Amino acid sequence: MHTSIKTFGKYKDDSIATPPQLSTELCCWLNSVAKQRDKKAFTELFNFFAPKIKRFGISKLNNEAMANELVQDTMSLVWKKAHLFEASKGAATTWVYTLMRNTCFDTLRKMKHKDNISLSDDIWPSDLTEELSDDSEFKDHLLNEKVLRCIDSLPLAQQSIIKGVYYQELTQEQLAKQLGIPLGTVKSRLRLALSKLKQQMGDRDHD
Amino acid sequence: MIKQHPTQAVLRAFIQGDLDPSVAIIVSSHIEMCEQCQKEVNQLTEIAAEKAFEQDIMDSFDPCTHQAFDSSLSKNMIDEIMSLPLDESMIEESVPNQEMYEDIEPAHSEQNQKIISHKDGHLPLPRALSSLDAAPWQGVGKVSRARFQFNDDERRLSLLKIDKGGQIPQHTHTGIEITLLLEGSFEDDMGTYQKGDFIWLDKAHTHSPITQDGCICLTLVSDALHFTQGFSKLLNPLGKLIY
Repeated sequence: MHTSIKTFGKYKDDSIATPPQLSTELCCWLNSVAKQRDKKAFTELFNFFAPKIKRFGISKLNNEAMANELVQDTMSLVWKKAHLFEASKGAATTWVYTLMRNTCFDTLRKMKHKDNISLSDDIWPSDLTEELSDDSEFKDHLLNEKVLRCIDSLPLAQQSIIKGVYYQELTQEQLAKQLGIPLGTVKSRLRLALSKLKQQMGDRDHD
Repeated sequence: MIKQHPTQAVLRAFIQGDLDPSVAIIVSSHIEMCEQCQKEVNQLTEIAAEKAFEQDIMDSFDPCTHQAFDSSLSKNMIDEIMSLPLDESMIEESVPNQEMYEDIEPAHSEQNQKIISHKDGHLPLPRALSSLDAAPWQGVGKVSRARFQFNDDERRLSLLKIDKGGQIPQHTHTGIEITLLLEGSFEDDMGTYQKGDFIWLDKAHTHSPITQDGCICLTLVSDALHFTQGFSKLLNPLGKLIY
């Protein structure tokens, strides 16, 4: 499997297109992830795409920690959405590129403006788009006060993550370092905290 | 037929995610209306993807990036990603079924499409605008405007409606003005424009659009310098409305 990737350079003069073996391999891996949640196939995909996503991230975001986050977020989408990839509609590289570009675009916008609108799915619509986003709940600034009260009722470990990410605007990686815990733990605590918050906000709306 | 399109350089910046958000929104709105640009965008995206994921560039020029992605970091990330909870619904869908997708698509796009009312009727908006809210219409004479509440530095995105026989007096721009004709037609010193036309003007242009049958446009105006250079425009109610 590895040899075909390593020899990619030889094809360069013939055409700019990805050599057929490589693109077939990428499609196979994506298929195995989609159908069997194949961890080996995902690792292959990760090893192929991660360094290049990181390079793209550094060129756009100008920051290594953010670029690593872009890698993690993009590859998470690949893992979760692999079943939505259709080889008949385009190359695997094109599909991953759009996930990466969209994630990066939304990240840039969130860095610059305090609002939390994710526009990329509207700007680059895809008929395969499906809602996975965790953050669309927080658009309304009037809700802030309510959110604050809910945050204070979270377990301390989750509170510190939420506050670090949303108030101090630390990257998840900075936060992991600061708290001395793995990045994965930061991400899972954040997810847990956000889903709890959503639940509580929803409950209060019924009062 | 649509005659005015974004340049290829603009389309390329668009697919790379390099345009400012409000510019990306108006370009995307044009593409939704224009088959020709859809094709071009698909091709450009493929090329950009090929370039971004070309293997040999990484190997020969960029050993640092390669090393920076050390194996313990990637192992952590891989483990973390593969332990993500999966939606039940996603697994059910995992055998894609052509018929099923065809059923879903129209429903999906209808659901996302926003429709805006104006004094003469309703207008379905491009999908790129579906997350934005517009302020109520404000008008002077035959010209009215609904501005999108969207923060993008000095760029302002609005719907501009000109009633039958209406005209905007001659003006120039200190920044850029991008117009996408959503409905109707208008003409200016440079020609006649139809639904779907995408017109990008900068300070080199002067124009005074006039419409026989009325029109509604999506406009993007960037005018960082309007306080000094456009002072006289601000004194005139129509200028205030548009800028």
